[in-house]
Amino acid sequence: MELDAISQPELEQIERAGSADLVIGIFDLERQEDGSSAATITREALAEFATPLRAIVVSNNGTHSPAVAAPEVAGDNHSPIVSSYSLPLPGSAETPQQSISNAYRQVFAIGSKLGVRACGVIASRDHNVTRQWIYRLVQPVMDLGFDLVAPCYTRQKMEGLLNRNVLSPLHRALYGEQLENPMGPDFGLSGKLLQQILGRDSARRAGTELNILASISSAAASGGFQVCETQLGVRTQRPTDWGNLSTLLSEVLGATFIDMEGRAAHWQSIRGSKILPRFGSPETPSSDTGTVDVHGMIESFQLGTQNLQDVWGLILPPTTLLELKRLSRLPEDKFRIPDHLWVRIIYDFALGHHLRTISRDHLLRSITPLYLGWIASYALEMQTAGLAEVDARIERLSKAYEDNKSYLVSRWRWPDRFNP
Amino acid sequence: MWDQVGQALKLSTTKMLSQLAALLPGIVALVFAVLVAVLIALVVSAILRRSLAGFEFDRRVAEWGFPAVAEWSPSSSPTLLVTRAIAWIVILMGFLVGISAFDGALPSQFVVRLFTYLPDVAAAIVVLVAGSIIARFLARSVLIGAVNMNLQYARLLSVGVKWLVTVLAVTIAIERLGIGGGIIRLAFGILFGGIVLALALAVGLGSKDLVSRSLERETSKAAAPNMKEPVGHL
Repeated sequence: MELDAISQPELEQIERAGSADLVIGIFDLERQEDGSSAATITREALAEFATPLRAIVVSNNGTHSPAVAAPEVAGDNHSPIVSSYSLPLPGSAETPQQSISNAYRQVFAIGSKLGVRACGVIASRDHNVTRQWIYRLVQPVMDLGFDLVAPCYTRQKMEGLLNRNVLSPLHRALYGEQLENPMGPDFGLSGKLLQQILGRDSARRAGTELNILASISSAAASGGFQVCETQLGVRTQRPTDWGNLSTLLSEVLGATFIDMEGRAAHWQSIRGSKILPRFGSPETPSSDTGTVDVHGMIESFQLGTQNLQDVWGLILPPTTLLELKRLSRLPEDKFRIPDHLWVRIIYDFALGHHLRTISRDHLLRSITPLYLGWIASYALEMQTAGLAEVDARIERLSKAYEDNKSYLVSRWRWPDRFNP
Repeated sequence: MWDQVGQALKLSTTKMLSQLAALLPGIVALVFAVLVAVLIALVVSAILRRSLAGFEFDRRVAEWGFPAVAEWSPSSSPTLLVTRAIAWIVILMGFLVGISAFDGALPSQFVVRLFTYLPDVAAAIVVLVAGSIIARFLARSVLIGAVNMNLQYARLLSVGVKWLVTVLAVTIAIERLGIGGGIIRLAFGILFGGIVLALALAVGLGSKDLVSRSLERETSKAAAPNMKEPVGHL
C-alpha cells in the first residue's frame, strides 16, 4: 500500500487522533490560507448532512506539525467533529503540477490509513472555495453512492483550453465518459476508489514519478466505478505563464500518455461515449472582455514548422507533415487547423510516446508550436462566438476524437503496418 | 676464369632459389589464410545480413536517431555497411595471420604493433559513436528549446552545438589514435574558438536585426501580464 507520501510515525499519530468518516484536502499553492478557516468551512459544509460526521481537514498552510490539531466542535452532539492537519510545504524545485500531485498522494495516504468513506480534495485557489464546494464534491459520494465526483467550472471561452481541446475529448474517446475536467483538480472520491488508485499508483511508481491526477478519472472509468459531475461555479485561473508553457504541456500530456499506455487493453475495446449525471446548475460567466493576440501564436507555429520537421518527421506521418507545411503558408485571417488533423496529431504524439520513437521529453516539448497553432485557430474561429457556439464547437471536436479513435487503435496495434 | 664465373653464377642462383624456396611455404600459407578468411567472411556476412534483415536493422537505425548512417552506407543500407565492414575485418585478420606465417622478424613485429594499436582504435570508435549520440541529443534539445522560446536563430544555435560536440569528439578520437600530437590540440583550439567566435559574430553582428527583433518580442511578452489576457490552459 502506498503510504510513503507521509512518514509512517506521522500516519500512526494521525490514526491515534481518532477515526474519521471523511478526509478533506484544501490546498492553495499560491496563497497559504489559515488552517483553522479551512476547518471552519469544512465544519459548515458538513453541518448540511443529516447525520453528524467526523472529518479531518488536510491543508498546506505552512504550520506543519506531526500532530493533528484538536477537533473543532460546536456545543451540541449533532454537529460535525473536524480535526485539522497541516502538510509539509512543497519543495522549492517542485512545479505546481508536482505539488498538487504530491498533496493528493498525502491526502490519499491519510484517507487510506483512517479507512474513510469519502474524500474531497480542493486544489483550486482558496478565495473561491466555499462550503458549497466541499458539500457538492462530497455529498454525491456520501448520500448517493457515487465513487467519483468530477468538477464543472464556469469558464470564459478561452479558459481551460488544454482541458477543452485535449484532455476532456481524449478521455471521452478513450473511456467513453463525457467528463468536462478529467484532471480536476478538485475531486470527490469514495474510499473504495481511493484504495484502488493508491494500490495502482504504488505498483507503478517504482521507476517513474507519476502525476496522480491523470489517473483518477481513468481509474474510475476502467474500474467500473460510478462517476458523476457537479457544478462548482467560477474557478479563478492562474495567470498564463507563457515562458513555461512547454513544461506545463510536457507534465500534463506526459502523465496522460503514461496513464493511457497502462490502460491500453481497456480503452481499445470502447466505442462511443455516455453522458454522466450532473448536479447543480451552471452559473453565467461574466462578460468576456479580453482579446487574444493570435499573431504570436501563429508565428510560433510557423517557426516550429520551419525548424522542427526532422523531429516531427519521426512522430507524424508524411501526410500530416505536408498539411502542416501548407497551413504555415496561410495568411493569418485564413489560418484554421482542421479538427481531424489536430486529433490525429494528438493520437500520433501519444503513439510516439508509447513507442519511445524519440526521447519522451523531446517529444512532449516539441508539441508546443502545434498546440499554439491550434489555440490560434480556435481563437480565430471563436472570436465572435457566444457560449452556446463554444459548447457546440467543443462537441464537434469531441466527436472528431471519437470518430478518429479507430486510427489510434490501428496504429497502436500495428505501428509498422499501419502508417498512412 | 669462365669456370669461376659460372661457379659464382650457379652459387648465387642456387642461393636465390633456395631463399625463394624458403619463402614459398610462407607465401602459400598467406594465400591459404587469405582464401580461408574470404570464405569465412562470406559465410559470416551472409548470416549477419540475414539476421539484421530479420531484425529490421535499417529501419531501427533510423528510429534510433541515426538517419545519416543510411546516407553513408552502400545502397543506402546500414545492414550492407555493417556486413561489409565485418567481412573486411575478417579478411584483414586472415591476412595478418598469413603474414605472421613468414618467419621473418619484421612482419611479426608489424603484427604485434598492429594488435597493440587495436584497443586505441576501438576506444576512438567508441568516443566517436558516443560523441555523435550526445551531439545529436543536445542539438535536438537546443533546437526544441529555442523554437519554444520563439528564437528565430534556433537552427543556427542547434547546428553550432552539434558541431562543437562533434569537433570535440573527433579531436579526442584522433588524440587517442596518437595522430598529429600537439598540432591536433592546437588545431582543435583554433577550430573550437573559431566556431564560438563565428556564432558570436553571426548572432551579435550579422543577425543583429534578428536578435533585436527577438529581444523586443521577449520584452513585450514580459509585459503581457499587465494586459488582460483571457487565455488559460488548465
